[in-house]
Amino acid sequence: MSNLNIALSLTLKHPSVQSVIDIAKDVINNNNVLDTELLYNLAKRRLKLPRKGLLSIIQLLINKKVLVEGSKYTRDEVLNNKYRFKLYRFLTSNLGAHFSTIRKQIITDSIGNLGSSGQLIWHLEMLIKFNYIKKIKIKNYTVFLPYEIDDEIGLIYFILLDEIYLKIIQLLIRNEKLKRSDVHKLVNEKRETIYYRINNLIEFNVIKLSGDKNSLVLNTRKKDDIISIIKTLSQNKPQIKKLNFSSE
Amino acid sequence: MTLNWTPEVIVAFIVAISGFVLTIITYIKPKTKKITSLNYIRLAILVFSIFIFIDGLSILYISKLLSIISGFILIPFTLSLVIGVTYIIKENFYSPGFVIVIGLSILFIYLGFQPNAVILQEQGGYIRLPWIGLFGNIGMILSAIGGVYIFYWGIKTLKNAPFLIKKEAYLFFLGIFVATVVSMIFYVLYLIDPFYILVSNFALFIGLLIITLSVMIEPKLLYILPFTVYRIVVKDREGYPLFDHDWSKSEISENIFTGFINAIQLMSEEIMNIGGLLDIQLKDGILILHESENITVGLITSKSSKLLKSSLTNFTRDFENIFEKSLKEGNKDMREYESADELIEKYFSNFPSRIISHKRKPLLLTERLLKLPLTLDTDLKTIIKDEKELNFIKSEIFRTPENTAAGFISLYKELKEELDDAENESEKS
Repeated sequence: MSNLNIALSLTLKHPSVQSVIDIAKDVINNNNVLDTELLYNLAKRRLKLPRKGLLSIIQLLINKKVLVEGSKYTRDEVLNNKYRFKLYRFLTSNLGAHFSTIRKQIITDSIGNLGSSGQLIWHLEMLIKFNYIKKIKIKNYTVFLPYEIDDEIGLIYFILLDEIYLKIIQLLIRNEKLKRSDVHKLVNEKRETIYYRINNLIEFNVIKLSGDKNSLVLNTRKKDDIISIIKTLSQNKPQIKKLNFSSE
Repeated sequence: MTLNWTPEVIVAFIVAISGFVLTIITYIKPKTKKITSLNYIRLAILVFSIFIFIDGLSILYISKLLSIISGFILIPFTLSLVIGVTYIIKENFYSPGFVIVIGLSILFIYLGFQPNAVILQEQGGYIRLPWIGLFGNIGMILSAIGGVYIFYWGIKTLKNAPFLIKKEAYLFFLGIFVATVVSMIFYVLYLIDPFYILVSNFALFIGLLIITLSVMIEPKLLYILPFTVYRIVVKDREGYPLFDHDWSKSEISENIFTGFINAIQLMSEEIMNIGGLLDIQLKDGILILHESENITVGLITSKSSKLLKSSLTNFTRDFENIFEKSLKEGNKDMREYESADELIEKYFSNFPSRIISHKRKPLLLTERLLKLPLTLDTDLKTIIKDEKELNFIKSEIFRTPENTAAGFISLYKELKEELDDAENESEKS
């Protein structure tokens, strides 16, 4: 009968219920895995409640969804979230994508409203934490790449998504050696824009200065990769547009 | 008249008294009395007690007539047991066991009226009245069928017992094992040496005692029916949830469940009369809906049953009565209806909760109860304005490795400039 009375009067505000919640908090805050058996044993030892009463409390906590079944994430479970899965798939099929592109593509719904950037960043952080992706900083852009992709390849993908970089590199593939001024003439963009990018490409070790220091050549070590990536990009037809660099 | 007091008579009376006590307990303890299957089981225990009592009387008075009458009482015992167990399983009377018992019973009655169905015999210095010949054999078969059904009931109960009452279920099964298997073994040995009938009856007594004890500790044992009740939800006429209770995890998705309730509410006037019940067969269970003046109550179970429907109807009626004022005022605060837990206890107490599926299943505290460090909490609230998103992220934080939240804040700060640029760009466009 006493058990029945406990069952009838149990609410979340009941002192015994609160004490069991506190024990559960302790376990979780100490980074231990909480389960019914552990909670039961700890509560029984500390609170000295009868078995049935204690089980009724644990049952109430589960019923009122104060305690929910679940554990710390494993790497496999991280992609169970639809949003994260979509994000990861986007990053694997759009190599070289930077934050703004991701934001636009991922959180734009059918009526064109942007969702929360905070949420997107949370999922990016989760993917980073569980080694699904990594981030590289390229000038003022943050590029997110699948974990297994080499940084240099990621960088090439990123620069080839900019139409001016692409034009410069295509010129250097076709002509092997070109002067800065010739590149400027052939690309037909503002001088400072072209020169800024040429300097970046030198900094990225994608192009080099030739022996006479006046001409530009593609880094032969990277040439094959670049040609292959251009081919891939031309097949996939990604959106190639002009990037805005803060120091341009 | 000299009474023939023998150890067998004494043991028979003790077993009979235990049986009567168990019958009373199975009636008093559970809160829901009108459960057909349990009524049959209770009847079987009562009839068995009468059988063993009259059997004892027949030896006490050395009466062949009483011995044959006790034999005939085996028929209602076996029948009610077979029906009770079958009813527990499929809410129906018919089973192969039922047909066999009926056939054997006709033969048994016929044989009971034949001369020499029972004889007077002196065994171990005591006068006994054993059933002999075919009458004795069929009597033994009927007892064995009863034993098999009780044993099956015990296994079924143990198998279906949820974690919360598993310990009591083992005790219950032990009692059934002693009262059937152990008792039957000695009953067979009795054919070799009449002394074993005493041991058999004693085992029966011990078994009944253990069963009685376990039922007293946990009356839900009698109601571990082979269907699972998953969930009950009460919604008002506008579709707002007022009360929610889970017994078990259901495969039926929240969307399907809510969708059906909402659809039924829209169509209710056309397809249901007020006060009507509706069963909807879903892939992973049955949704029983009950519509009343102010509320719609949905119950998800693994299969439909008369018992569940009547429990649901009574629950709905009482809910309407108890919360009439709040319902009329249109109060949608679920806390107002929390005391409906008492109605769950009143009408559904016989359905054991399976909400704790396994004692080792990892658990987490919901985000609303776990406190994040103040600075982290403030930072999160600054970044995530939407409460739903914030709660989601908080719930994830507790499932992630240490420093994930700090990593998120630092990544956010790192991306802030790009974010501002992107926002400016989208504003311009």
